[in-house]
Amino acid sequence: MSARDFISLENVGREELLEVMELARDQEEGRLGRLLEGRTVCLAFFEPSTRTAASFELAARRAGADVVSLSSGTSSISKGESLVDTVVTLDRLGMDALIIRHPAAGAASLASRHTSAAVINAGDGCGQHPTQALLDLYALGKSLGGFEELAGRRAAIVGDILHSRVARSVIPAFGTAGIEVSLVAPATLLPREADVWRLPVLGSVDEALEWGAEVLYMLRLQKERMSGALVPSVAEYARYYGVGRRHLRPGVRVMHPGPVNRGVEIASDVVLDGSSLIPDQVSAGIAVRTAVLALATGSVERAAA
Amino acid sequence: MSTRSGADRELVIRGAHVLDPSSGLDGVMDVRISGGRVAEVGEDLHGVRELDASGLHLFPGFVDVHAHWRTPGREEEEDLESGSEAAAAGGFTGVVMMPNTDPVLDRPALVSGLVRRAERESRVRAYVAAALHAGLEGRELTEMRLLKEAGALCVSDDGPGTQNADVLRSGMIYARSAGLAVLLHCEDRSLAKGVVHDGVAAALAGVPATPASAEDAATATALVLAAETGARVHITHVSTALSAALVGFFKGRTGVTADTTPHHLTLTDDLVRTLEGLYRVNPPLRPEGDRREVIEALRDGTLDFVATDHAPHAAQRKELPLQEAAPGFLGHETAFAALYTELVLGESLPLSRLVEAMSCAPGRWVGGLGSLAVGAPADIALADLEEEWTVERESLSSRSHNSPYLGRRMRGRIVGTIVGGELVHDRMGAKLGVRT
Repeated sequence: MSARDFISLENVGREELLEVMELARDQEEGRLGRLLEGRTVCLAFFEPSTRTAASFELAARRAGADVVSLSSGTSSISKGESLVDTVVTLDRLGMDALIIRHPAAGAASLASRHTSAAVINAGDGCGQHPTQALLDLYALGKSLGGFEELAGRRAAIVGDILHSRVARSVIPAFGTAGIEVSLVAPATLLPREADVWRLPVLGSVDEALEWGAEVLYMLRLQKERMSGALVPSVAEYARYYGVGRRHLRPGVRVMHPGPVNRGVEIASDVVLDGSSLIPDQVSAGIAVRTAVLALATGSVERAAA
Repeated sequence: MSTRSGADRELVIRGAHVLDPSSGLDGVMDVRISGGRVAEVGEDLHGVRELDASGLHLFPGFVDVHAHWRTPGREEEEDLESGSEAAAAGGFTGVVMMPNTDPVLDRPALVSGLVRRAERESRVRAYVAAALHAGLEGRELTEMRLLKEAGALCVSDDGPGTQNADVLRSGMIYARSAGLAVLLHCEDRSLAKGVVHDGVAAALAGVPATPASAEDAATATALVLAAETGARVHITHVSTALSAALVGFFKGRTGVTADTTPHHLTLTDDLVRTLEGLYRVNPPLRPEGDRREVIEALRDGTLDFVATDHAPHAAQRKELPLQEAAPGFLGHETAFAALYTELVLGESLPLSRLVEAMSCAPGRWVGGLGSLAVGAPADIALADLEEEWTVERESLSSRSHNSPYLGRRMRGRIVGTIVGGELVHDRMGAKLGVRT
């Protein structure tokens, strides 16, 4: 078995993306079976998460893995044990994969230096959230007729890019898939050196549609940033950086990593509209995370045999 | 300076290339030391005790005005013995200890106690910077006249800086009246919300970032107040192009002095991409453009000298994601080699300017150090400029291991350090064997 980490999509290649997409499709079509049988998967969540943790846990269990789950509020994680000590302990228990969520960027790569198990980053601070971007690509590809159909499409990533680990994974992943990406954000919620991505920066959802966006990828605005020195008010934010019914038209798809602030980044009546891919993103999570776990633990060849 | 048994005896160091810009010395010469002081520099000197230093360079001992020896309070990370051993290993013969200890050095009894301990436990001359304000909390001034009587060399706000400009202004006025220099850590904490420089690396890595303005705005405030109050102000760890330019602008208007660090001169924020807690430091590592301007400011004297900001941290404070790690690097043991390798060999900074920046200028700032003039204290660093070595945990004398240079190849190494005529660091005993 060869452990393979999924920590960052910053330099992800097209072949790697394709591998995950194809395996996720196999999973969805029931061709993978219990390929994680006999594997031990640990979830170490150093910050609260319901959706991502549930998605990973279901993916691992349905594929037959033994799952150990640690989260803040229970266990040593709340007793102030350090990240490194927790990882070393889990390593000695004999895990095959560690799925880690942590409030600080770099936590997953730090963990990977202290275990021989495969490390899967389930979100580290404002750093990376690779499986989210992978499931986004899968859901979007499926709605457009396949991964190959992504090339040349235009997607606007809208909202708090400065603090978004989702954006830092989606930007390179979408780019590698051939999608043209633009950024739409208040200047206070963009990194000072956002030019490093060499992407157009637009001023509103309206401008994004004029630019030709077929995908509006909406980011969550954290409550504590909704007023004050970064954003003057929810009303002003929603006016320029929120998507409403008036933005919907044939061929435009709305995505969001969840959980949605209704009435802030997405108007209430848009969340479950036909143009919304949000439910598809959630269901893609199981297939994609199973694929990632299989690749991370080197379980794929065994399944084929 | 625990062993002074032979201080009165005479010693002649023979055959080293002596380089002391403050005395105009530059060539192969012999140095006679007597009574702990430089007695004579010339050719063909002999004495009862001789030390063969041929092939080596001999400089006035380096002086570091910015060090954290974690005493009192965090001696498991560094103490006077290990800190001074690290200093001696790096060729430093004089060191100023910052006041952000636990407890903070804000009362006369704490200062006098540490001064006495340093006399017993430190291998090199160790000076105390007392706190500028009580608890370094930026509200009430300390008893500066009493602190001076207790032995404080200067006052400082290093660590948290001074967030209230009115307190800083009063502190400068009072320190001036007390005859104390003020060493300042310039950082506006209302802007400094992150842990790395707000640049390309931070954008990509997603690590909370602090804009350069956090340093620049505080530096500007300090310089304006220095000009207004006439206090003897020293700005430590200048790390940005704009702050260096501001220092330059005010130099003609005030007696302000400033330093920068070996790490800001040799490393950039590219290291943020590793996401390793080891590389967190304050002020943060800057982009190449700032580094270049800071090098030029050191070259032309806008920045007077180098100080290391030697800041030991235990492994558990560094083996963390960047944003959770403690800020700071070890500095003493790698300063000369890093700067010789990267600046003298890499950027053609004259060796004499480096010696001035590590010895003469900070020695003058402390007072009476950094010179090989006849009658000066016999504080000396001996360097082998040919030696190549790799920085390794095991080779560090410090009690901590948080050097940003671990694993790096260096050229030039300190092989011997003398304080008041006594050998306090002797890495190559055979080479430096004293013949009697």
